[in-house]
Amino acid sequence: MLTFILRRLAIAIPTILIIIVLSFLLMHAAPGGPFSADRKLPPEVLANLEAKYDLDKPLPVQIYNYVKRIVVDFDFGPSFKYKDQTVNDLIASGFPVTLTYGFWSFVVATLIGVGLGIVAALKHNSWLDYLATGTAILGSVLPNFVMAPLLVLLFTVYLQWLPGGGWEGGQWQYIIMPVIALATSYLASIARITRSSMLEVLNSNFIRTARAKGLPSRTVILRHALKPALLPVLTSLGLSFVGMVTGSVVIDQYFSTGGIGQHFVNAALNRDYSVIMGVTILVGSLTILFNLLVEILYAWIDPRIRY
Amino acid sequence: MALLEVSDLRVSFDTLDGRVDAVNGVSFSVEAGETLGIVGESGSGKSQTVFALMGLLAQNGTASGSIRYDGREILNLPEPEMNRIRAEQIAMIFQDPMTSLNPYLRVSRQLTEVLMHHKGMSQRDALDESIRMLDAVRIPEARNRVHLYPHEFSGGMRQRVMIAMALLCKPRLLIADEPTTALDVTVQAQIMDLLKDLQQEFGTAILLITHDLGVIAGSCRNMLVLYGGRVMEYGATDDLFYRPSHPYTRGLLHAIPRIDHDGAQLATIPGNPPNMLNPPPGCPFEPRCDFATERCRTQAPPLEAMNDGRLRACLRAPEELA
Repeated sequence: MLTFILRRLAIAIPTILIIIVLSFLLMHAAPGGPFSADRKLPPEVLANLEAKYDLDKPLPVQIYNYVKRIVVDFDFGPSFKYKDQTVNDLIASGFPVTLTYGFWSFVVATLIGVGLGIVAALKHNSWLDYLATGTAILGSVLPNFVMAPLLVLLFTVYLQWLPGGGWEGGQWQYIIMPVIALATSYLASIARITRSSMLEVLNSNFIRTARAKGLPSRTVILRHALKPALLPVLTSLGLSFVGMVTGSVVIDQYFSTGGIGQHFVNAALNRDYSVIMGVTILVGSLTILFNLLVEILYAWIDPRIRY
Repeated sequence: MALLEVSDLRVSFDTLDGRVDAVNGVSFSVEAGETLGIVGESGSGKSQTVFALMGLLAQNGTASGSIRYDGREILNLPEPEMNRIRAEQIAMIFQDPMTSLNPYLRVSRQLTEVLMHHKGMSQRDALDESIRMLDAVRIPEARNRVHLYPHEFSGGMRQRVMIAMALLCKPRLLIADEPTTALDVTVQAQIMDLLKDLQQEFGTAILLITHDLGVIAGSCRNMLVLYGGRVMEYGATDDLFYRPSHPYTRGLLHAIPRIDHDGAQLATIPGNPPNMLNPPPGCPFEPRCDFATERCRTQAPPLEAMNDGRLRACLRAPEELA
């Protein structure tokens, strides 16, 4: 197990390098640059700026210097647009925000999604199943950019219960709407996966055996069916978690929460090369990390899987 | 009084294509300690008959008729009451030992939970008893192996675990639904021997479902031949084997490959079992029967007793079948 983890971490290093090189090339392939503006800069000024930010060198040298600076100093460079701020600063201020509402979204989506899925499967083809499945479908057709304005309309404009945006250090009133908006569609897909996987397990031979043993249905479900039913859910949870703690572009835009999603969009629009790279590496590393975590959990749950 | 008396059992399923009548008025009885064999092709209603017995029909299935266990009606009992009969009175082993054990739980847990639930034993006592039972089904080094997961056992060993699990509470009736179908031939013989030995040791009655007539001949006093969810012939195994009185029984016996077989094509019963969505109105076997007459197509044969005590459902007299 330990060797498996170490091996996977070792493979993660070249993976991240490939991510860096590919995004670097893609980014530079896009037209324009951080200093293209409506008003042309004098050529001497532009040359000075490019020299300062390393942009006058050939791409391979730029990539080499970039990686070297990360490895040696863990320095992701200065932002091109936000004067006096480094990428490390921006991530340090934005990531805790994203992580906070991302984590709560994950908790809400997982608990309610798994709960709805199990209820729907146990009460297969009853009104409870239809209600739960209906809720899940409703959730999946309401993406966060639709949910966000609807929530604001309800809770801020009509009911005047919650502030329409901002973060204020993460007080609970400011967290609720981002969490609901972000969690809804994930909740829906988790509920659907749980339901179908639970149904499949309930129809399996070993559940029939458990029932033939005269165990109460509570024991049959909790002891015999739950674990195998949650395995496919686990796979999707890993990726959902990364999605929720990073893919919050809309939430940051709509609620002005100031997470890293906001930086991602602005950086891409502004060709703020170093910020794009920083956020990409963060998302990439988290994806690798959580995939690994899911695989470890798999081995822990399923005795047939050994690494 | 027989240990188990099934009369006029009917099982049907509501499917998207319509109502499927899988079992149509099956009756039989099992005495304490005896073995009754049920034979028939796939789809003849063997498995659904015993699932109805255990209350394990699929959700879209309904059963009617009567199943009396030890004089008590147990068909369609509420789940909590049925749970007191399952494993304690009637236990079941299944066709496919590879998938019938829970792959996520240790064998020890799957065995001890039966004793802890039904007998209120402590974990330690239940484990000791489970190990004794694994010894009884001749699993070597049971004390060490009890803590393994099912995938660490071979198919034959898993079926032994299933048998041990079924016998933990010393049930009076064991239902074995094709217990050897998924196993290779040498292991099949071992499992059948084991079942016979355990039956003598514990005095358990066995309801043995199979489509292997050899297995029936070797272990059952009585046999029941099912086709299209109906009883075709029911009586002492010896009578049915030596003097089959029903065209279907004759066909089945004729289809057993013989050791002195000369290498020509194996004998079969031509045609396919009836589609139970739209069963033939008369005798279900009529489309495949060599002796069918016009009457067989429209009139379902009643189950009638013959002189030697067997029951048969055929409109033609036994003498006419030559």
